[in-house]
Amino acid sequence: MRPVAIIGAGKTPFGAFPDEDLRSLSVAAGEKALQNAGIGPETVESFYLGNFAGPEFTSQNHLAPYISTALGMKGIPATRFEAACASSGAAFFQAFMGVASGVYDIVMVAGVEKMTNQPTARVTEILAGAGDCATEVKVGSTFPSLFAMIARRHMHDFGTTREHLAAVAVKNHENGVLNPDAQMRKAITLEQAMNGRPIAEPLNLYDCSLISDGAAAVVLCPADRAREFSRKPVRIMGVAQASDYLALDQKPDITTFAAVQGAARKAYAMAGLQPSDIQFAELHDCFTIAEIVAMEDLGFVPRGRGGFFTAEGCTRRSGSMPINASGGLKSKGHPVGATGVAQLCDLVQQICGEAGERQLQRNAVGLAQNLGGSGATCVVSILGSY
Amino acid sequence: MRSGVVYTETVVHLAPERFAADVPYQVIIVTLDDGSRLTARVDGARVAIDDRVVDAGARDGIPYFRKK
Repeated sequence: MRPVAIIGAGKTPFGAFPDEDLRSLSVAAGEKALQNAGIGPETVESFYLGNFAGPEFTSQNHLAPYISTALGMKGIPATRFEAACASSGAAFFQAFMGVASGVYDIVMVAGVEKMTNQPTARVTEILAGAGDCATEVKVGSTFPSLFAMIARRHMHDFGTTREHLAAVAVKNHENGVLNPDAQMRKAITLEQAMNGRPIAEPLNLYDCSLISDGAAAVVLCPADRAREFSRKPVRIMGVAQASDYLALDQKPDITTFAAVQGAARKAYAMAGLQPSDIQFAELHDCFTIAEIVAMEDLGFVPRGRGGFFTAEGCTRRSGSMPINASGGLKSKGHPVGATGVAQLCDLVQQICGEAGERQLQRNAVGLAQNLGGSGATCVVSILGSY
Repeated sequence: MRSGVVYTETVVHLAPERFAADVPYQVIIVTLDDGSRLTARVDGARVAIDDRVVDAGARDGIPYFRKK
């Protein structure tokens, strides 16, 4: 297996864009990534697309060649990967292996979702398809309710509080204000975050990520060729994917994600790093509790301490472990199929020193954690500077 | 009759269209006495983690439990 680099990254702003569709969003992100890499579409040898529910949201199917041809890529393999909210993380893992194995030199990975053309009740229904439809979904579980049940048990077992959850939302909104591509650039107070409209108790509106349109793309090549294309290539130090049951009631302990722990273990081993070597992270805060559980499963803090760590300010940009300096899914937005690659774009921006007002000083090694469903898929990626 | 202990719970306020008429409703994961787990709805009074619950039958294919 040979080392692989990211030589180009690009994404659209996230938000509600009634005049854009899956194809136009993807083309905008893909063209930015190509331009960033300094190559044309004819150079790309394989196209990997992450998308969760394009057919359900828009009725368009057969999405990968629909998009790759619009980008000007002719005749190459073009395939869509679906792993719920980890769809583009999963696509990235396959693309990485395509280059690491020596089969391809130049590949593109894109992720896209178009969600805002559906009413919220229908979005909730489509997203619930990432759970086990024969059991938990059938009785009326929604995604917020699954994470609400995780939050309840985490509070019961570890003393995590309602304030801890709110502190995640406040911090991510504080960061999103500084991100010109974020969907909700609005600071919120702890009091607001504590008292939002209830969605699934104990989670309220401010605990939930946004419904978004958006796309993101990266271009990969062998690490030893990266300088041919880019003045600022980024090294893929480790990447791994793991899986688990869909249904929460099949997991022995719902306060931890086995797939996050499994993917993290392998990604750290590939990178030759420990959790303490990670300088900043983009974590999958689809709900506030998910960020707390993720930082524990990744080994940034001991089990049960994620909420306390957040409330102490340690995950703010000025803290010892900045998490979601981009604003996270909470403020930046969460077009689910785009999220995995968008997190990588955020890491690349930080590592290249191009994150503007939210630039972190310790920016040499960053980790992205992309979660599918209530933990049935996880992809962990570690990127580093050259 | 099946019985068990509430492992976790939530009250759903925003539901998909087909359950919209039911909100707010409580969903629980029950640890049954044989050790297996089941996701179900609650019939009657709200329950909390560690409460004992008993099978209250099924309606429209949805299993219900109630506080013992």
